[in-house]
Amino acid sequence: MMESAIQLQDFYFAYKKSDIVLHDININVRKGSFTVLAGPSGAGKTTLCKAMTGIVPYYMGGRYSGDVKVLGESTRGRRVSDIAMRVGFIMEDYESQLVSLTAGEEIAFSLLNHGFSAKEVAERTRKALEDVGLPGRESYQLDELSGGQRQRLLLAATLAVHPEIIVLDEPVSAMDPDGAISLYKLVYDIHKAYGTTIVAVEHRTDYLLPYVTDLIALKEGRVIASDSFEAAAPKMYADPELRCLLPSLWQVKLGLEERFGVDLGDWRSEQDALADLKTYKFERRAD
Amino acid sequence: MKLTAFTQIIVTIAVTAWVFILPVEAVATILVIELALLLYIKHDRMTMAAIGGLAVFTGTMVLLQLLFGTPLEQSLIGGLRMLVMTMAFLCMLAATRIQDIAKALVDRFRLPCEYAFMLTTALRFVPNFLTDSAITLDAQSCRGYSNRGNIVKRFLAYLVVIRPLVMRAVAKSETLALSMELKGFGGNTYKNMPSEPLGFADYLVLLLVVVLSTYPFWIEYI
Repeated sequence: MMESAIQLQDFYFAYKKSDIVLHDININVRKGSFTVLAGPSGAGKTTLCKAMTGIVPYYMGGRYSGDVKVLGESTRGRRVSDIAMRVGFIMEDYESQLVSLTAGEEIAFSLLNHGFSAKEVAERTRKALEDVGLPGRESYQLDELSGGQRQRLLLAATLAVHPEIIVLDEPVSAMDPDGAISLYKLVYDIHKAYGTTIVAVEHRTDYLLPYVTDLIALKEGRVIASDSFEAAAPKMYADPELRCLLPSLWQVKLGLEERFGVDLGDWRSEQDALADLKTYKFERRAD
Repeated sequence: MKLTAFTQIIVTIAVTAWVFILPVEAVATILVIELALLLYIKHDRMTMAAIGGLAVFTGTMVLLQLLFGTPLEQSLIGGLRMLVMTMAFLCMLAATRIQDIAKALVDRFRLPCEYAFMLTTALRFVPNFLTDSAITLDAQSCRGYSNRGNIVKRFLAYLVVIRPLVMRAVAKSETLALSMELKGFGGNTYKNMPSEPLGFADYLVLLLVVVLSTYPFWIEYI
C-alpha cells in the first residue's frame, strides 16, 4: 500500500453558528497521487481542502472532531504557515492571493517570512518562475501580467517553498478552456518532475482526465467515493447527481458498460476511446 | 545619486517643518526644486495630472481663505506652504518604491509591520477595486440603476453600487488575510528583506536637513 500524504480520520466539522459541513470523513490521499476532489456546489469541497491545510479548524474556528494527518503528522496545534511549507494551497480567487507588487517579491514573500537567505530566495524565485514558464519576470509589476500569468505566478510562489503536496481549489474557474488545459498540463509536469502530490477540486473534470490517478467524490458533506479513479468513477456514476461531474468520456464509457454489459478499457483520451470502441461491435437496440 | 527610503522619509518630514520655519522666499525655492526634481524623476501623464490636481486644490484653498477674510498675502503664503508640503510627498512617492518606504518605516521608525503592509496592499488593490467598481456599476445599471436627479437622489441611488462593492472588498480581504497567514506574514516579513545601508549621499542630505531645520537657531545666535 502506498504511503499516505493526507489522512482524515472520523473528521466532522461545523463552522461557527452553522450546521455540520463535513460528516464522518475518512479519506486517504496517497503520496505521489494526482487526486481529484469532485462534488456538487455546497458539498464541502473547499472546507475539505481547508481541513487538509490546517486552516479548518485552526484558523477559521468552528467545532470539529477527528484528526487530520499531513505526511504522518497531525495538524493539531501547528501553525497554518508551517503546514503551508509542506502543503501548498491555491484558492479559487487567485487575484486576492497575490500580496506583493512585483512577481519576484510575490515569490520571495513566503520564503523571507520563513527565514531563507537572500541568495536562496533569489535562486528559488528564478527556478520557480522558470518552472511555470515565466523566466526572467522577477521585476514585472503584477499589472503587467495577464490573468493566466498571474495564476502561474501564484503556482510559482507555492512551488518555491518546495511543498510535498499542492492543494488547488478550482484554480481554473475564471480561465478560458485553453488557459485551463495549459495550467493543468503545467501542474501535471510539476507532479511528474518533483513527485508532488496534487489534490485538485474541479467541476470540469474533463481537463483532468489524462492525469487523474485518484478520485474523491463528496455530496452533502459526506464522502461518496474515495479510491483510485477507475474504482471510484462507477460509484460516482451510480449517483445521478454526481454522474454529470465525471469526465464526459467516462460518462459514455460507464453508460456503455451498463447498457451492453461490456468491460471497456481505461479511457484517458478520445483516441483511447476510439481505439477501444473499434474492438467492439455495438448493435443499435430498439429501446 | 540614490537616496535610501529612510533619508527620503526624513527629508519629506523635514520639508513639512521647513515651510513653517524658513522664510517664504526659501519655501518658494523649495517648491521650484521639488518641481524640477519631480519632473526629472517622472514626467508621465499621471505625474502631470497629480501636479495639476495639487495646483487646483491649492488655488481652491487660497480662494476659500480669501472668502473667509484672510488677507491676500497670508492666503498665498498658506497656499504655498500646503503645496510645498504635499509636493514633498509626491516627490518621495515618485522617487521611492512603496515597498522600500514600508520597509524603512518598519526597520527605522519601528512602525508595526501590519501598518506598513497596509501601504503596499492598498497600492496593490487599487486597480482591483477600480475594476470591481466598474463591474458593479455595469451590473447595477443593467438592473435599473441610474445616476439622474439631484445630489441627494444620486447619492441614495449610488448605495446600490456601494453595498455589493463593499461586500466584494470584504470577501477579497478575507482571502488576502488567509493568503498572508499561509505565507507566514509577521515580524519576519520586513526583517528578512535585504536592507538598504546609508551611503555618503544620505549622510550629506541628512546633514543638510539638520542645518536647515535648525535655521532659527543660526539666525538667533550666529
